[in-house]
Amino acid sequence: MKIESYAVARDYFGRSLEIDEPVADVASLRRLLEQKNPAAASLLKKTRFAVGDEFIDDHFQLNPADHVSIIPPSSGG
Amino acid sequence: MSALYRQVVEDNYSYITETPINPAAMLAQAHDPSAGAIVLFSGETRNLSRGKEVNYLFYEAHPSMASKMVADILKDARERWSLSIAIAQHRIGKVSVMESAVVVITASAHRSEAYAANRYIIDRIKHEAPIWKCEYFADGTSEWGGNCNCVSITGDPNKHVYESLNPSVVE
Repeated sequence: MKIESYAVARDYFGRSLEIDEPVADVASLRRLLEQKNPAAASLLKKTRFAVGDEFIDDHFQLNPADHVSIIPPSSGG
Repeated sequence: MSALYRQVVEDNYSYITETPINPAAMLAQAHDPSAGAIVLFSGETRNLSRGKEVNYLFYEAHPSMASKMVADILKDARERWSLSIAIAQHRIGKVSVMESAVVVITASAHRSEAYAANRYIIDRIKHEAPIWKCEYFADGTSEWGGNCNCVSITGDPNKHVYESLNPSVVE
Protein backbone atom coordinates (compact mmCIF):
# COMPACT_ATOMS: atom_id res chain seq x y z
CA MET A 1 0.00 0.00 0.00
CA LYS A 2 1.38 3.37 -0.99
CA ILE A 3 1.28 6.07 1.69
CA GLU A 4 2.00 9.70 0.99
CA SER A 5 2.57 12.23 3.75
CA TYR A 6 2.22 15.98 3.88
CA ALA A 7 3.54 18.87 5.92
CA VAL A 8 4.66 17.91 9.44
CA ALA A 9 3.94 14.21 8.81
CA ARG A 10 6.86 14.15 6.39
CA ASP A 11 9.20 14.86 9.32
CA TYR A 12 8.17 11.46 10.69
CA PHE A 13 7.48 9.29 7.64
CA GLY A 14 9.23 10.95 4.70
CA ARG A 15 7.41 12.01 1.57
CA SER A 16 6.11 8.55 0.78
CA LEU A 17 6.40 5.02 2.05
CA GLU A 18 5.29 1.58 0.97
CA ILE A 19 3.56 -0.68 3.48
CA ASP A 20 3.66 -4.43 2.97
CA GLU A 21 1.99 -5.44 6.21
CA PRO A 22 -1.70 -6.24 5.89
CA VAL A 23 -3.83 -3.41 7.30
CA ALA A 24 -7.57 -3.91 7.36
CA ASP A 25 -8.75 -0.43 8.20
CA VAL A 26 -7.61 3.07 9.09
CA ALA A 27 -7.46 2.29 12.80
CA SER A 28 -4.93 -0.48 12.19
CA LEU A 29 -2.95 1.72 9.79
CA ARG A 30 -2.76 4.33 12.54
CA ARG A 31 -1.41 1.67 14.94
CA LEU A 32 1.10 0.37 12.39
CA LEU A 33 2.44 3.86 11.69
CA GLU A 34 2.77 4.45 15.41
CA GLN A 35 4.83 1.24 15.71
CA LYS A 36 7.03 2.40 12.83
CA ASN A 37 7.68 5.74 14.52
CA PRO A 38 6.52 6.02 18.16
CA ALA A 39 7.51 9.72 18.18
CA ALA A 40 4.57 10.33 15.83
CA ALA A 41 2.01 9.00 18.34
CA SER A 42 0.47 12.32 19.31
CA LEU A 43 0.40 13.54 15.71
CA LEU A 44 -1.26 10.32 14.54
CA LYS A 45 -4.10 10.79 17.04
CA LYS A 46 -4.94 14.12 15.37
CA THR A 47 -4.32 12.99 11.81
CA ARG A 48 -6.93 12.46 9.11
CA PHE A 49 -6.47 10.02 6.26
CA ALA A 50 -7.62 10.13 2.67
CA VAL A 51 -7.88 7.66 -0.17
CA GLY A 52 -7.66 9.38 -3.51
CA ASP A 53 -9.28 12.76 -2.91
CA GLU A 54 -11.71 11.62 -0.18
CA PHE A 55 -11.32 11.73 3.59
CA ILE A 56 -11.94 8.37 5.22
CA ASP A 57 -12.89 7.48 8.80
CA ASP A 58 -11.34 4.94 11.18
CA HIS A 59 -13.65 2.15 10.00
CA PHE A 60 -12.83 2.51 6.32
CA GLN A 61 -11.74 -0.86 4.88
CA LEU A 62 -8.42 -0.41 3.13
CA ASN A 63 -7.39 -2.20 -0.02
CA PRO A 64 -3.69 -2.94 -0.78
CA ALA A 65 -4.08 -1.01 -4.06
CA ASP A 66 -5.32 2.13 -2.26
CA HIS A 67 -3.31 5.31 -2.47
CA VAL A 68 -3.47 6.70 1.08
CA SER A 69 -2.60 10.25 2.18
CA ILE A 70 -1.64 11.20 5.73
CA ILE A 71 -3.35 14.55 6.35
CA PRO A 72 -2.08 16.33 9.50
CA PRO A 73 -4.39 18.88 11.17
CA SER A 74 -5.01 21.81 8.83
CA SER A 75 -3.18 25.08 9.33
CA GLY A 76 -4.22 27.07 6.32
CA GLY A 77 -5.44 30.66 6.31
CA MET B 1 -23.70 40.23 -15.77
CA SER B 2 -24.67 37.74 -13.12
CA ALA B 3 -24.75 34.72 -15.44
CA LEU B 4 -21.55 35.76 -17.17
CA TYR B 5 -19.88 36.34 -13.81
CA ARG B 6 -20.72 32.84 -12.59
CA GLN B 7 -19.56 31.21 -15.80
CA VAL B 8 -16.28 33.06 -16.09
CA VAL B 9 -15.23 33.60 -12.50
CA GLU B 10 -16.78 30.99 -10.25
CA ASP B 11 -16.74 27.90 -12.44
CA ASN B 12 -13.17 28.27 -13.62
CA TYR B 13 -11.61 29.61 -10.48
CA SER B 14 -8.29 28.28 -9.30
CA TYR B 15 -8.87 27.95 -5.59
CA ILE B 16 -5.25 27.06 -4.89
CA THR B 17 -2.60 29.17 -6.55
CA GLU B 18 1.17 29.54 -6.55
CA THR B 19 1.05 33.06 -7.94
CA PRO B 20 0.57 36.08 -5.65
CA ILE B 21 -3.06 36.87 -4.87
CA ASN B 22 -4.26 40.32 -5.82
CA PRO B 23 -7.22 41.10 -3.50
CA ALA B 24 -8.05 44.34 -5.31
CA ALA B 25 -8.25 42.55 -8.67
CA MET B 26 -10.47 39.87 -7.15
CA LEU B 27 -12.72 42.51 -5.66
CA ALA B 28 -12.91 44.32 -8.99
CA GLN B 29 -14.56 41.20 -10.47
CA ALA B 30 -16.89 40.67 -7.53
CA HIS B 31 -19.94 42.74 -8.35
CA ASP B 32 -23.43 41.54 -9.02
CA PRO B 33 -26.68 43.39 -9.66
CA SER B 34 -28.41 41.48 -6.84
CA ALA B 35 -25.70 42.26 -4.28
CA GLY B 36 -26.06 45.21 -1.92
CA ALA B 37 -23.19 44.00 0.26
CA ILE B 38 -19.73 42.74 -0.66
CA VAL B 39 -17.39 41.45 2.07
CA LEU B 40 -13.72 40.74 1.39
CA PHE B 41 -11.48 38.95 3.89
CA SER B 42 -7.75 38.82 3.30
CA GLY B 43 -5.67 36.60 5.58
CA GLU B 44 -2.15 38.00 5.47
CA THR B 45 1.27 37.06 6.77
CA ARG B 46 2.08 39.09 9.88
CA ASN B 47 5.55 39.85 11.19
CA LEU B 48 5.11 38.29 14.64
CA SER B 49 4.09 34.80 15.74
CA ARG B 50 4.66 32.99 19.06
CA GLY B 51 6.60 36.06 20.17
CA LYS B 52 9.11 35.68 17.35
CA GLU B 53 9.79 37.79 14.29
CA VAL B 54 8.46 36.10 11.15
CA ASN B 55 10.34 36.32 7.86
CA TYR B 56 7.75 34.56 5.73
CA LEU B 57 5.29 31.66 5.65
CA PHE B 58 5.47 28.67 3.39
CA TYR B 59 2.17 27.00 2.50
CA GLU B 60 1.76 23.47 1.26
CA ALA B 61 -1.44 21.80 0.10
CA HIS B 62 -2.80 18.52 -1.16
CA PRO B 63 -3.81 20.46 -4.26
CA SER B 64 -6.61 18.33 -5.72
CA MET B 65 -8.24 17.69 -2.32
CA ALA B 66 -7.87 21.29 -1.18
CA SER B 67 -9.28 22.62 -4.42
CA LYS B 68 -12.28 20.29 -4.31
CA MET B 69 -12.90 21.10 -0.67
CA VAL B 70 -12.83 24.87 -1.17
CA ALA B 71 -15.27 24.45 -4.07
CA ASP B 72 -17.58 22.37 -1.84
CA ILE B 73 -17.40 24.89 1.03
CA LEU B 74 -18.25 27.76 -1.32
CA LYS B 75 -21.17 25.84 -2.79
CA ASP B 76 -22.46 25.06 0.71
CA ALA B 77 -22.19 28.73 1.78
CA ARG B 78 -23.80 29.94 -1.45
CA GLU B 79 -26.82 27.73 -0.75
CA ARG B 80 -27.05 28.42 3.01
CA TRP B 81 -27.09 32.19 2.66
CA SER B 82 -28.42 32.56 -0.92
CA LEU B 83 -25.27 34.44 -1.89
CA SER B 84 -24.86 36.29 -5.15
CA ILE B 85 -21.12 35.63 -5.09
CA ALA B 86 -18.82 33.35 -3.11
CA ILE B 87 -15.20 33.08 -4.19
CA ALA B 88 -11.98 32.16 -2.42
CA GLN B 89 -8.37 31.67 -3.29
CA HIS B 90 -5.56 30.24 -1.16
CA ARG B 91 -1.92 30.72 -1.97
CA ILE B 92 0.71 28.00 -1.69
CA GLY B 93 4.49 28.43 -1.58
CA LYS B 94 6.30 31.33 0.03
CA VAL B 95 4.09 34.19 1.27
CA SER B 96 5.88 37.29 2.56
CA VAL B 97 4.76 39.62 5.34
CA MET B 98 1.75 41.77 4.27
CA GLU B 99 0.96 39.45 1.33
CA SER B 100 -2.38 37.63 1.13
CA ALA B 101 -2.32 33.93 1.94
CA VAL B 102 -6.06 33.62 1.44
CA VAL B 103 -8.88 35.80 0.17
CA VAL B 104 -12.61 35.15 0.59
CA ILE B 105 -15.24 37.34 -1.07
CA THR B 106 -18.94 37.02 -0.41
CA ALA B 107 -21.79 39.08 -1.77
CA SER B 108 -25.45 39.10 -0.88
CA ALA B 109 -28.48 41.36 -0.95
CA HIS B 110 -27.83 42.55 2.62
CA ARG B 111 -24.70 42.69 4.76
CA SER B 112 -25.53 40.20 7.52
CA GLU B 113 -25.54 37.23 5.13
CA ALA B 114 -22.32 38.33 3.41
CA TYR B 115 -20.53 38.75 6.77
CA ALA B 116 -21.79 35.46 8.22
CA ALA B 117 -21.02 33.48 5.08
CA ASN B 118 -17.56 34.98 4.78
CA ARG B 119 -16.68 33.98 8.34
CA TYR B 120 -18.11 30.50 7.82
CA ILE B 121 -16.07 29.99 4.65
CA ILE B 122 -12.75 31.08 6.16
CA ASP B 123 -13.38 29.00 9.31
CA ARG B 124 -14.04 25.88 7.28
CA ILE B 125 -11.04 26.48 5.00
CA LYS B 126 -8.77 26.89 8.03
CA HIS B 127 -10.07 23.81 9.85
CA GLU B 128 -10.80 21.38 7.05
CA ALA B 129 -8.89 22.07 3.86
CA PRO B 130 -5.65 20.08 3.54
CA ILE B 131 -3.45 23.18 3.57
CA TRP B 132 -0.57 23.75 5.98
CA LYS B 133 1.65 26.65 6.89
CA CYS B 134 5.26 26.52 7.97
CA GLU B 135 6.50 29.62 9.77
CA TYR B 136 10.02 30.76 8.97
CA PHE B 137 11.41 32.98 11.70
CA ALA B 138 14.08 35.68 11.58
CA ASP B 139 16.21 33.63 14.00
CA GLY B 140 16.62 30.93 11.34
CA THR B 141 14.20 28.42 12.89
CA SER B 142 11.01 27.14 11.29
CA GLU B 143 7.89 25.44 12.56
CA TRP B 144 4.74 23.89 11.13
CA GLY B 145 2.14 25.95 12.84
CA GLY B 146 -1.28 27.08 13.94
CA ASN B 147 -2.85 23.67 13.67
CA CYS B 148 -6.52 22.93 13.95
CA ASN B 149 -6.92 21.33 17.38
CA CYS B 150 -10.64 20.53 17.27
CA VAL B 151 -9.92 16.86 17.94
CA SER B 152 -9.22 17.80 21.59
CA ILE B 153 -12.88 18.90 21.83
CA THR B 154 -14.63 16.56 19.39
CA GLY B 155 -12.47 13.44 19.85
CA ASP B 156 -12.58 12.87 16.09
CA PRO B 157 -10.04 14.37 13.65
CA ASN B 158 -12.81 14.54 11.04
CA LYS B 159 -15.12 16.65 13.25
CA HIS B 160 -14.61 20.37 13.79
CA VAL B 161 -15.95 23.23 15.86
CA TYR B 162 -16.43 26.55 14.14
CA GLU B 163 -16.15 29.94 15.83
CA SER B 164 -18.72 31.33 13.43
CA LEU B 165 -21.33 28.80 14.53
CA ASN B 166 -20.21 28.51 18.19
CA PRO B 167 -19.08 31.98 19.34
CA SER B 168 -18.36 30.73 22.89
CA VAL B 169 -15.68 28.29 21.76
CA VAL B 170 -12.23 29.81 21.77
CA GLU B 171 -9.69 28.35 19.37
